Amino acid sequence: MTSENRSTDTPLFRFKNSRVSLNELILLDFDAERLRIELEQHSARLPSLFQQMPVLLNLDQIPAERPLPPLQELLEICRGSQLNPIGVKGNERYDAELCRSLGLADFGQTTRGELARSAAQDTAVSEPTPVADKTVEPAAAEGNRTRILTTPVRSGQQVYVQGGDLIVLSSVGAGAEVMADGNIHVYGPLRGRAMAGVNGNTDARIFCQSLEAELISIAGYFKASEDLQSDHWQKPAQAWLSGTRLDTAAL
Amino acid sequence: MAEIIVVTSGKGGVGKTTSSAAIGTGLALRGHKTVLVDFDVGLRNLDLIMGCERRVVFDLVNVINQEATLNQALIKDKRTEGLFILPASQTRDKDALTVEGVERVLNELSEMFDYIVCDSPAGIEKGAQLALYFADTAIVVTNPEVSSVRDSDRILGVLQSKSRKAEQGGSIREHLLLTRYNPARVQAGEMLSVDDVKDILAIPLLGVIPESEAVLKASNQGQPVVLDKDSDAGQAYLDAIARFLGEEREHRFLDVQRKGLLSRVFGRKG
Repeated sequence: MTSENRSTDTPLFRFKNSRVSLNELILLDFDAERLRIELEQHSARLPSLFQQMPVLLNLDQIPAERPLPPLQELLEICRGSQLNPIGVKGNERYDAELCRSLGLADFGQTTRGELARSAAQDTAVSEPTPVADKTVEPAAAEGNRTRILTTPVRSGQQVYVQGGDLIVLSSVGAGAEVMADGNIHVYGPLRGRAMAGVNGNTDARIFCQSLEAELISIAGYFKASEDLQSDHWQKPAQAWLSGTRLDTAAL
Repeated sequence: MAEIIVVTSGKGGVGKTTSSAAIGTGLALRGHKTVLVDFDVGLRNLDLIMGCERRVVFDLVNVINQEATLNQALIKDKRTEGLFILPASQTRDKDALTVEGVERVLNELSEMFDYIVCDSPAGIEKGAQLALYFADTAIVVTNPEVSSVRDSDRILGVLQSKSRKAEQGGSIREHLLLTRYNPARVQAGEMLSVDDVKDILAIPLLGVIPESEAVLKASNQGQPVVLDKDSDAGQAYLDAIARFLGEEREHRFLDVQRKGLLSRVFGRKG
């Protein structure tokens, strides 16, 4: 309740996986004088864009037989044109140590997809976060993003995983809604609503330890509780789409 | 530093105020200095259950608006040592409560008491949210009936997302208190069983309070039911309080009481 109490109880920071749109300066070749002039012409045409815009220096396109630009000089040219290089990408001929000494992040030759995937794995391990009343988890455009919930999803709560699977290790209460672009796994009773493949993925499936759902839906094709009262009711079951029919089967 | 307990349920009429009064009194009986705060502004009831309605001069809203000091508004219970009541206002509505005002009052109370028991209004709107916002512990009161259980599930979601503890990345300690339990009706399939409710809500069970005439009698007399030590409900609340304080107690009153020959002949007693 006092400020000193607050400071010891709660961490001062947390990590969050974020994706920002970033411009790359793709060098096709290097000539210090020409680069300086061309950048200045650009800057004169679009001055608002060049105000300390963060860029990634992409050296992928420089032919292998051509020498690499001296990093220090390249940095000075960029900074002189109001650009703010934050990292180097795409040429293993560079010395990673040199990048570090110049304060540049080394993006190596890693593709974005791989970056996103490894980031998704990091966050999956760093559960359990409390579920907000409405949770929308934006995921990387490429790369599968799975979300794991360890606590029950309560009545009135809504969880949506964009671009990935949702795994609930506990129950989904009546009146709760779980949604995912991918598959939904519930390792407890599924009593609320589950919607898999909400972005239109007809291959998505729903798996649960006990099928007691109010409604299940895959890619918009749904069955309400009334139509789910089959042999699989209150038993471990899965649901998938065959054509336009939603099928359920015992697990 | 006091522990702030919110007694909440989502649904109305399940026994929040009765339970708040019983738990607050029980904690005071065990020697802990306790204050009962009525958050049900506009539908003030706790003072009636505690039998102090004739002594209300100032209330929670007066203290929040700084029209009265806390010491002026606190009512000392005449029966139980170390128990105080902070009544709600009957003439105002929930908009009279502010986060800053409630925080200031609770901070001040936590300097003076061991336990602050907040009696939440029904619903999930502003009044209920403010009652639970600063809580360390929640006692979720549920009846063995589907709509009550679902509303409790909803309020557990609110506790996980809209409380200060949750906003700071922590979580509130949650307890289930099952009230109005009638073993005969459970056996007849007319009520959910303890296990059904535990299965749905998946939080630790603090106690099961049997449906009892003693509760209505106590309410009408303005006397918390724990003071009626011979009653089943009173004993069940005392057990729950003991469990709350960390003691092991077996759950009682879960099975249908078989009437012996004598009581069948001479009629029901007690």
